[in-house]
Formats: sequence, C-alpha cells, structure tokens
Amino acid sequence: MNEAAQFLIDGYLDDVLTIEQHEELSAWIRSSPQNARKFAAAVMLHDRLRNEMVISGERQGVSPPSRSAGDEFAVKYAEAFTRRADALPLAGVVARRRSVITLLSTATLICVAVVLFFKSFGDSPTLAAAGELQRLIELNAQTMDRTYQITVEETVLPHRGRRGPSPEDGRPPKAPMDGATLYVRDGQQFVLSRITNAGPFVTGSNGKVSWAVRPDGPVRYSKDLNRFNRDLPGHEHDMPLVNIHDGLERLRRAYDVQLLPVEDGESSEPATRLLVAVRDPKERGPRRVEISYEVESGLIRQMRFIEMPYGPESLTLRLTLLSEYSLDVRFFDHESHHDSNRRVEVE
Amino acid sequence: MWTLAQPAVSAFITTVVRDFRDRDDVLQDVAVAVIESFDRWDAERPFVAWAIGVARNQVGLYLRRRRREPQVLEFDPETIDALQVAFSSAAEVGEQRLDFLRECLKSLEGRARTMCELRYQQDLKPAAIAEIIGMTANAVAKSLQRIREQLRECIDHKAAVQGVVQ
Repeated sequence: MNEAAQFLIDGYLDDVLTIEQHEELSAWIRSSPQNARKFAAAVMLHDRLRNEMVISGERQGVSPPSRSAGDEFAVKYAEAFTRRADALPLAGVVARRRSVITLLSTATLICVAVVLFFKSFGDSPTLAAAGELQRLIELNAQTMDRTYQITVEETVLPHRGRRGPSPEDGRPPKAPMDGATLYVRDGQQFVLSRITNAGPFVTGSNGKVSWAVRPDGPVRYSKDLNRFNRDLPGHEHDMPLVNIHDGLERLRRAYDVQLLPVEDGESSEPATRLLVAVRDPKERGPRRVEISYEVESGLIRQMRFIEMPYGPESLTLRLTLLSEYSLDVRFFDHESHHDSNRRVEVE
Repeated sequence: MWTLAQPAVSAFITTVVRDFRDRDDVLQDVAVAVIESFDRWDAERPFVAWAIGVARNQVGLYLRRRRREPQVLEFDPETIDALQVAFSSAAEVGEQRLDFLRECLKSLEGRARTMCELRYQQDLKPAAIAEIIGMTANAVAKSLQRIREQLRECIDHKAAVQGVVQ
C-alpha cells in the first residue's frame, strides 16, 4: 500500500481528514476491491483496538467517558458473563477472545429474544400497532427536507343541491393537484408546485410568511401563515401533509390503527410494512390513511389518503417520497421561485 | 452466528459512525434488528453479508438523524457498496488474525501506551491528546499511525508463526 493511501486511512480513523482528503480516500476505495479490503482490514484493527483497550481499561477501573447508566449496567452484565465463562476452562479461552462489545450485543440479543418471546403472548394487535405508530412518530420527529410526488387517484364532487355553503364558494377554481410536487421542511415550511395550462403555480411558506406565485399577475405574500395554504389538502382537518410528525400524532388521537404483515421486497431492498388507520366516525378528516414505510428505519415511502375533504370535493390521493436531502437554505422563500423583476404585493 | 459476524458488522458500522459511543449504540440497534428480522435471512446467503446489510439500514437511520449537524463527512453510496462487500469477505480471516492483538498490545509502553489509551479508552482525537501530552496534533496523528503500523506488523508476525493465512 502506498504511503499516501495509508496516510488517508489513518487520517480517517482519527477523524482529521479535510473534505478533499475524504473524497480522495473515497475514490481510492472505489477504485478497486483490493483497496476496499485494505481499508476494511485497517478499520477492523482500529475497531478491535478500541474494544481491547476498553476491556483493558475496565480491568484497571477506567471507563470510557460519558457512559449512560444503561451502558454501565450492560458492561456489568458483560463482565459477569465473562467471569462466569472464565470459571469454565474451555469457555474461559473463548471468553477471553470476546470483546466487551461482543458481549454487549450478544447480551442485547438474548434480552430482546426473551422480551419478544413474552411479548408474543401478551400483546394484542391494537397495542402492537399503537407501539409501532409511536415508534414511527419518534423516528420522524426530526427529518430531512423531503420531496413528494402527489397523485390524485379519485375526485368525488358533491351532489348538486345537497351541499351546504362552503368557504370555497366564490373563489376561483383550484389548480390541479394531480402531478404536483410538494417539498416540506421542519417548521411548517413547504413549497407546493402545480402545473396549470398557463404555467407553474407555486405556493409556499418559509415559516415566517406564506406566499403564492401565480403563472401571471403579482407575487403575493402575507404574514398570516395560513393565507396561502388552503390549496394544501388536509389543512382544514388537522391532517397536515407538510408536517409528518403532527400528522402521525393526529392518527394516534383520532384513528384506529392496524398493522399489516411485513412485506419482503427484493433481497437488496429494505422490507416494508403497511400501517392502516381508519378514522373514528366522530372525528373529521380522511376516512382512511395508509402509510407504507421501511420496517427498520421507519422511513415513510408513501402515504395514501382516502376520501380526504378538499374544499367541496373529496379526494383520494397519495404522496410518494421522491427524495430526502437538504434543499437550499432559501428554497422556501418566494424569491427562489420567480424572476426578480416580478411585482410583489403584501396582503 | 452473531458472535462470528459481530466483529465485521462492528467494523462496518465504524466506517460510517465515527464516534465510538454512537457506534456502540448503533451496534446494539443492529443486534436487535437482526433478531427481529432473523426469519427473513435466506440461509443460502452468508450470514455476515446479510447482517452487514441490516447494519447498513440502521446506519442509514443514524445518518438521517445526524445529517443536520455540520461537519459530518460521509462516504457516498457507491463507496459504502464497495465496503459492504469488502467487510463481508474480510470477516473470517481478519477476525482470526486480530486475536493476536491483545498479545501485541503488551509490547506498547510509555508514551505510545498513553496515546493509545487516550485515543481508544477516552475517545480523544489527536488535537485533544496533543494538549494533554504536550505535542502538536500533527505529531500525535503520526504517532498513532506508527503505533497501528507496529501493531499490524506484530499481528502479521504472530499470524505467520501460527500459520494463520492472510
């Protein structure tokens, strides 16, 4: 191995590489399987070195810094496990080869197996679904910027003469939602981009003002954050599409939640699962919500809203995750969505 | 099976999760995920490769939580792909050879031992170690590089004597 590559590997292990050096190392790893194996061997030594030093420190009464009470318990558990193994001549040889981390994770496996065994007797499907929903809420508490494609599957218009007065009466028809793109960020920030015959119609909010950029006419904005969100399905009934965390909380409060079996995808694809929520008849909002998510990561891939009130209409629509990454810091400002020479009016 | 796979899985996590304490947490999450999804393991496939695949998903989750924090350098997906294959294949032989590490560590003395303890017991980076022992950060980084090289040579020597293949 050449000195430059070794320098990069060691720099990586000690976390002192610059961005450029990191990219150089990445390119070197990708350039051949042999290089990738060399890097893997170096990391395995680094990783084992840490485990051995922690074991050595534990024996001398030195603990790694800032360990939680749970970790300390686990270390004690692991030590007890080691002592027990050391009492047996053959097991002692095996135990000495194990790192603390092996013992920790093995102990974790045993504990989880026991918990799962007993849970299989005690949990009802409803409790399991509620627990899974809680896990999803926690996993989605802090998310990256997300981009969704909106697909309208069905639009149901009210029967003539049967509907009462609506706040939508007298307003211009809404731009089509099917095929729209929705960008969302924490803090109620969103951009909804729809295509009309006259061009793109973009509405949004940066969390400080809401705004609308129509294909023609002036750009309008308002300090009232709800001023331009009426085009977002669900805003009227506490089912905010722009805030996954709040939407999931709403499901917990007002819906009966059920879990469907895990679906195995291709071997390289993460397994997914469908969570189905049916609205309590006394509540308002979409009659049914289906959420498809990755089992292990909790990443929500698709949300389907069935019979969602939308002005005088009722929609069945789905949001499909297109990407999850940080958009430009100013992406949610209206200035990012129109020419600088457009007239801007405050409402 | 988990005991055999764990060193490679742990090292794979370390390539992405740079803080050792975070690595320990992620490793335990992986252990839980492995047992929860064990019935989806295809026995025709190597267990280590499958477990590393599970680890990759858990690491992805960790990264999503951390991505808003500044200065987190990550490998791109292509590099992770290459490493996933490399760790899967390097697992068995690499682990056998690393069993000699404990013996080799006994040869570390004086400042080298202290630096190793500060780096690996206390999770300190070269700049922090430099302040404690009165060297420059650059000199500490080079010393750590030499220490690992010395340990690697010791392991190679002992493995050769014991007839453990590379």
